[in-house]
Amino acid sequence: MSLMEEIIAAVDEMPPFPQVVQRAMQELAEPEYEVSGLVDILKVDQAVTANILKLCNSAYFGLPRKVSSLKEAVVYLGADQMRRLLLSGAANKIYEKPNEGYAVFANELWRHALATAVMSQVLCRYLRLKIDENVVFTSALLHDVGKVVLSAFVIEEYQAIESKVDNGKSSFQEAEKEILGFDHAEIGGKIAEKWEFPPEIIAAIAFHHDPSHSPKEFRLLVELVALANNLVVMVGYGTGVDGLACRGHALLLKKLKIEAKDLEKLLLLFQIEMEKTCDIAGVGDD
Amino acid sequence: MSLVTIGIADLKVSNNPEDTLVTYSLGSCIGLAIYDPVARIGGMLHYMLPDSSINQEKAEKNPAMFANKGIPLLFKQCYRLGADKKRLIIKVAGGSQIMDAAGTFNIGKRNYAILRKMFWKNNVMVDGEDVGGNCNRTMYMQIEDGKINLKISKKGMVEL
Repeated sequence: MSLMEEIIAAVDEMPPFPQVVQRAMQELAEPEYEVSGLVDILKVDQAVTANILKLCNSAYFGLPRKVSSLKEAVVYLGADQMRRLLLSGAANKIYEKPNEGYAVFANELWRHALATAVMSQVLCRYLRLKIDENVVFTSALLHDVGKVVLSAFVIEEYQAIESKVDNGKSSFQEAEKEILGFDHAEIGGKIAEKWEFPPEIIAAIAFHHDPSHSPKEFRLLVELVALANNLVVMVGYGTGVDGLACRGHALLLKKLKIEAKDLEKLLLLFQIEMEKTCDIAGVGDD
Repeated sequence: MSLVTIGIADLKVSNNPEDTLVTYSLGSCIGLAIYDPVARIGGMLHYMLPDSSINQEKAEKNPAMFANKGIPLLFKQCYRLGADKKRLIIKVAGGSQIMDAAGTFNIGKRNYAILRKMFWKNNVMVDGEDVGGNCNRTMYMQIEDGKINLKISKKGMVEL
């Protein structure tokens, strides 16, 4: 088998996206979803149920009494919180797999994904964009899912990739493409296809390093994810062996009318949101 | 040995020789470590932005987020423990950038520039630094002897 065939085989072996979460997301997408219907979907998964109750009873919400039923928790949290909680739980599991090809410290991919999701929300609000924030959140959270598969191949070819990056001409992702035949964005797109995600999310994952070649109808979404990724990598959130060897999309700043001062304000808003999110998700922000 | 973590927009000081201060994943942020080798007092700051004028309220609540507020506070807290300005050894890491020929994602550069400006005004000399480029750095400081180690993406562990 050629290297590229091996990579594709690894994509095929990737476990499916958790069905309970996928079904719950479909239910939540209905404008008037049934609480009891959602509870029926969720209750079969004990881990998911426990997670929802834990979040609901966390200090963050400061409820006067303990919530002990799933139904109560679903009503209390509401659709947006539920959606985020379910997706974050699923994404956390996916990014948890060993990924020494990229990570220097444990949990780095997950922290980077979460930070990118938070940054994408901050961008949407700051720029007052008319776009479905839930789609943006999902795309940003899963944008690096390809790294989970590519990690093992990056380890094998690390020296070759690194020497391309070291000469300063290639970004890490460009070097992946040259050496492995695929980069993690493309592979992420293939995983999202396998999971039967909607086309806009597949595009956002597949083109997050190359937004100008994304399908025109999804361009704004892809650009948002690309820019959120740029900013989070810049700050250093969850960057691994690839460090900051990521190409900046300066044109996007211009296009979205983000000036130097805006950049500072965005980082500030991001950090405030990120601290809150880490509190809720129980992740250290260091 | 106990590891004391300095988060993003955070600072800590220590005079416990058992402690190692650490701040992870410095990208465009700056890690500033100061150490008095006689009193064996050290402190570390991880700031994110150059100037607090963009949000005074946040600057009050979390001065360590900004260079202009965090740097003076780090020195003050070390003085409070008994450190002497004349003896302080100062080391700086971070201020990286993503690959961007246009230089628009230049918070790292600005974070570093304001530090140099503040030090210049206050006659503070930097004894060692590893800044810029497009790597990320994790910074460790042993309170016992002030030794600074950097874990740098690509390069591994180096002493600063």
